[in-house]
Amino acid sequence: MSTAAQPLYRSQRLALRYFTAAIALFGVMIAFGLLSAAYYLFPSMLFNVFNFNTSKIMHIDILVIWLLMGFLGAVYWYLPKELGREVAGIRAAEITFWVFCLAIALVAATFLFVQYGSANEFTLWFINQGRKYVEAPRWAAIGIVAILLVFSWNVVGTCVKAHKMTGIMWVMVLDLIPLVVVYLDAFPADTNMSTDLYWWWWLVHMWVESTWEVLIGCIMALVLMDVMGTSRRIVEAWLYIEVMLVLGAGILGLGHHYFWIGTPQYWLAIGGFFSALEPLPLLGMVVHAVYDAGMHRLRTSNQPAFYWITAEAFGNFIGAGIWGFMMTLPQINLFSHGTQWTVSHGHFAFYGAYVCGVIAVLYVAKQRVTGVPLLAGHTWRWGFGLLNLGMVGMVMALLLAGMAQAFYGRAIGGSTLMAFTTASENLWFKSGMYARMLFGVIFAAGYVALVYDLLRAPRSAALPAAQPQPA
Amino acid sequence: MSPGALLETAALMGLFVLAGGAYGGLYSMGRLRARPHWVRAGQACWLLAFAIAVLIALRSPLDLGWKLLILASAMVYAVIPPVTWRYLQRLHAHEETQQ
Ligand code: HEM
Ligand code: HEM
Repeated sequence: MSTAAQPLYRSQRLALRYFTAAIALFGVMIAFGLLSAAYYLFPSMLFNVFNFNTSKIMHIDILVIWLLMGFLGAVYWYLPKELGREVAGIRAAEITFWVFCLAIALVAATFLFVQYGSANEFTLWFINQGRKYVEAPRWAAIGIVAILLVFSWNVVGTCVKAHKMTGIMWVMVLDLIPLVVVYLDAFPADTNMSTDLYWWWWLVHMWVESTWEVLIGCIMALVLMDVMGTSRRIVEAWLYIEVMLVLGAGILGLGHHYFWIGTPQYWLAIGGFFSALEPLPLLGMVVHAVYDAGMHRLRTSNQPAFYWITAEAFGNFIGAGIWGFMMTLPQINLFSHGTQWTVSHGHFAFYGAYVCGVIAVLYVAKQRVTGVPLLAGHTWRWGFGLLNLGMVGMVMALLLAGMAQAFYGRAIGGSTLMAFTTASENLWFKSGMYARMLFGVIFAAGYVALVYDLLRAPRSAALPAAQPQPA
Repeated sequence: MSPGALLETAALMGLFVLAGGAYGGLYSMGRLRARPHWVRAGQACWLLAFAIAVLIALRSPLDLGWKLLILASAMVYAVIPPVTWRYLQRLHAHEETQQ
């Protein structure tokens, strides 16, 4: 790994700004997660002042935004290194960063103080579009498209100006197309709820289970070369296979969101079939992670990044693969749909697939900025341990609560309002909500430890015997 | 689906993938550290995954198509770790001869 002896590129300084914004928003997201969890314990809390729905909007919209910022930061970090030159259009990229921040502040202020509006065009344009995960008003959605277009121009323009195209860059450039285009399809004003949801899922599913998976695959390929010294040929060969398999099952896996929204019945078969195949490539990734970890463990110069990369491979398999598979066949999903069971999977999958990967990149940046040849020590372990413990505890609590809802409220009670209320009073459900809060606090403590460790100056340590060759 | 069968089937499906993952993890760790008993423990996990798939086929109220799909994926699970491992080895060996 190269050290701070060489100056940073402008785009790497921009990346650091993106990372700072991302980690700050991660904190805000956790705060609203804790607040949302508190409503389950004190349901009348802040009644008519600040309701659960707004708190949850803040929590999940910020989730999407901070991860996106983490991805953009990671790409701006690695682009000059990969292509050997400053990013094309860097000035525009710097400006869009500040525009992005301003837009987030304005949307957050609208959510916090205006909250909702009447059912008319004005509300759609300026207050809230009412689409889960992407509630931001339409002007902000257009702003996101503009930011992604500038980002795409930066990536493609740099490849063109550098007269260089690597395998990883090919995959990334092709991935930019769905990254922008799929975002656009989510916002037509369709008054038919089924068609509206049909297209909205294109965005949510295609982003999280396809486009983002490919993007994080490219980022992880760059991190693996950097942190573990894995050769380019190996990461690229692996990236192609992974992309083929993930997209092969992931695209039509979209069907598992179409079971109950009024789409034709054949989606039951398509969704169940393709999403049942989704754990297969994830198993291959586990084998790959063990192989890489074993081959390079003693040689890595960045311990925290190494551990977070490994956590990513396992977290992705467990959170997306196991948790997703449990409820992906329509006969099960009929009962589990919309319970805390889904929430459990949502947390685990997002965390495993993306959060761990972004944290790994933060440590890569930390090592480069501080210029230490070996990033090790003990403090990072607190963040690693507490965040993982908090997340695993939270998802187990949510799983039990969700199973209680499916069992008592759906299968026994028949999904009536009364059954829903009875299930919400059930001891398993209530204990699950308390346990979620407890582990949420542990997770928050892990976040504090992570930020502390990222900010504190590292102690210098001796290099291990053999160093990986920098990519 | 009865309430009991719902929880039982979902739990079995989760355990099925978990056992598959344990197979992948143990198999590759065993190969990495040249510990044949880890590889065997991994293979035992695959047997467990297969047994769970059979249990799902026999006991659960899932439709026949889903049962067949789960049995078929149990078969695919069997080959993923060794095939992936061999591929990775070949890739690394090729890389080393090039250097
Ligand atoms: C202190 C930690 C956290 C707490 C207490 C928390 C709490 C919550 C709560 C209460 C909800 C609303 C669930 C509902 O509608 O009933 C929620 C939703 C959600 N959270 Fe978190 N969260 C935390 C961290 C995270 C993290 C780290 C992620 C991402 C990795 C995340 C991703 C999500 C997602 C995707 C949803 C929507 C799930 C769905 O509706 O199916 N949360 N969270
Ligand atoms: C990166 C990978 C993944 C991420 C980030 C992810 C995230 C999520 C989130 C956040 C939800 C809740 C959506 C909502 O209603 O708001 C969800 C639902 C779902 N996911 Fe995943 N998921 C991933 C992979 C998978 C895989 C591999 C499977 C299947 C094996 C799967 C199966 C499902 C199913 C069946 C639902 C629908 C639950 C319901 O609404 O009843 N997911 N996922």
